[in-house]
Amino acid sequence: MGYAVANLARREPAIEVDFALIGHQESWRAAADILAVLRGGELTALPDDEIKDILPWIPPRTVCHVDIESRAGGNARGLYIDCFIPPDRLEAAYVHENLARVRAAASCAIKSGAKIVSLGGFSSILIEGNFDQLPEKHNTVFTTGNTLTVGFIVQGIKKMCALEERNLRNATLLIIGATGDVGSGCARCLAPVVKRVLLNARNIERLRRVATELEAEGVEGELSTDLQRFPTQADIVICAASLGCPSLLLDRIAPHALVCDAGYPKNLSPNAGLVGATVFFGGLGQIAGGLSFTPDFFGILNRHPFPNVVHGCLLEGMALALEGRFEPFSKGRGFITPKRVAEIETIAARHGIHLAPFSNADGPLERQFEYQTQSSRRWVAGPVRPPSERT
Amino acid sequence: MKTEGQIEPVMDLNGSPIDRSSLSCHAPIWQDILAQAVTGEQLAAMNYTSLSEICDDPAEVADALEHAAGERGHAASFAAEGRKIGVDVDNNVDAMHWRRLREAFLGCIAERDFIGCLIVQEIMLESFAVASYARVAKVAPGSLGETFARIAADEEQHVDHAMAILRAERALDPERFDDKVYRLHFDVMTTLAKMLAKECKDGHCEVCHSSCVKPSLGDVSLSAAELRGASLEQYLKALDMLGLPGEVTLAWVTQLPI
Repeated sequence: MGYAVANLARREPAIEVDFALIGHQESWRAAADILAVLRGGELTALPDDEIKDILPWIPPRTVCHVDIESRAGGNARGLYIDCFIPPDRLEAAYVHENLARVRAAASCAIKSGAKIVSLGGFSSILIEGNFDQLPEKHNTVFTTGNTLTVGFIVQGIKKMCALEERNLRNATLLIIGATGDVGSGCARCLAPVVKRVLLNARNIERLRRVATELEAEGVEGELSTDLQRFPTQADIVICAASLGCPSLLLDRIAPHALVCDAGYPKNLSPNAGLVGATVFFGGLGQIAGGLSFTPDFFGILNRHPFPNVVHGCLLEGMALALEGRFEPFSKGRGFITPKRVAEIETIAARHGIHLAPFSNADGPLERQFEYQTQSSRRWVAGPVRPPSERT
Repeated sequence: MKTEGQIEPVMDLNGSPIDRSSLSCHAPIWQDILAQAVTGEQLAAMNYTSLSEICDDPAEVADALEHAAGERGHAASFAAEGRKIGVDVDNNVDAMHWRRLREAFLGCIAERDFIGCLIVQEIMLESFAVASYARVAKVAPGSLGETFARIAADEEQHVDHAMAILRAERALDPERFDDKVYRLHFDVMTTLAKMLAKECKDGHCEVCHSSCVKPSLGDVSLSAAELRGASLEQYLKALDMLGLPGEVTLAWVTQLPI
């Protein structure tokens, strides 16, 4: 039609945005909680079947603003952008659809003027090998956040070993998802300090490449695409696969193994049947200075038993924003080294971002430690046990 | 390192072919789908005619009337598709939901609110039309599917042009513009959401020729949930293109009736 078009001046974003976090929900319950907040308390909650009908059609978009405080005194403002990947569509059959969602979320971040963008959960897995598929970036940089995730996984393993008086040097370490950016990064950091390493992933050629790299460092171990083929039982396990599997570990771990589930979504279901093992969620950090969401999604976007706990991949972007280092710190796959991990850990620590207290599907583990310490190391029933109960 | 040697398949990217329904056995379903489409097009023609009455510029009047003629042409095309499969396609712009949509548009006309008219017709009603027609085009066989696809493309062109005008208007005063969109959203999209709900809770829609067509949509590889989802997705994307904050528009959509 011939209606006059006025001057299409571009408006600057109303609020300056330092960082953006791109994520998605790992369960329908979590997705339902987000929609419930947006719908407001006055309306009845949407039934589950309606949520499953509606969610797949929601285009990626900003859900809330995020403010964080540094222990060093500064602060940063960001956005949480949800890809709205349906929790039951994370498998390979939907890879193109999901990649399109991550690209759309990335466009939202660029449009918002975010200086650095962290890719959370599955979005990081999709993009780590496809950085060239991100939209034209202008002044926005992207990081997968995987380096800080690796840092918190490694810190968690070491801290849990110390708490349970396990000797890491005598341990056989199994890494599931060993060819991914996080899995291979963990291998580079931990393989040199354990007795033996077992590498598992779906692609044999990529497994061989990781193994060759580790062999050059003098690491001994085995690789297999099939967990059942390993002749040795692992006593420390890192689950860093892109998809969960309830029966992932059955029979392939030592009776009292230490299992770090670092997947998002979680690799292990709560009823995975790991009787006797100590299972904890890995790759999580805590912001001592605090974080807040507008509107208030506290406890919904960060569904952890402790406050201010966030996945390492997202914390990496926040730490870099607080530091004023707007650079693609983690980019591509296979470049995470102990030196890079130490560098990002130092930056994070400077701003009060540290390893989160331990928890698993049953709730907090850390409180149990506190209780046990106060009661002269009399251990309560739970996934964390002293050496005497593990022998 | 020891190697076990088997490479497991990483992913299966093969899509499944789309089922195409035969026309003859599903003619009553297509009849109702076409009746909704013809009614929507007739209503759009009436809206553009009304719009021409508040335009001052003769060129704008001519454009609005041309659009009205185009929408009547779409209605005629849908009716012709009905005849091809041996059904009469009625339209009822006085049916309860459609009447309410018309009233919302006429409210903008009464206020000589040209921008409000564009928001209702081009952003809200056309989002519904473009998305629904595109979904129907994917499953409707032969010329029926082609007609839905062609008209969906036509309607999308309207939206593109209106988008430039509306973005310019929003740039002048975003807060005022967004308030207007919200007021119209509350009225128009609430009605559209009721039309698109999985079940008609307000009784018969007065367009379907007998009982409600929604439970039968599965027979032609459609569903009410899919049509609603696609329409809301199109609407949210249209609002994104206008520059409204995504978190705000998502909240609006989650608050619609189900």
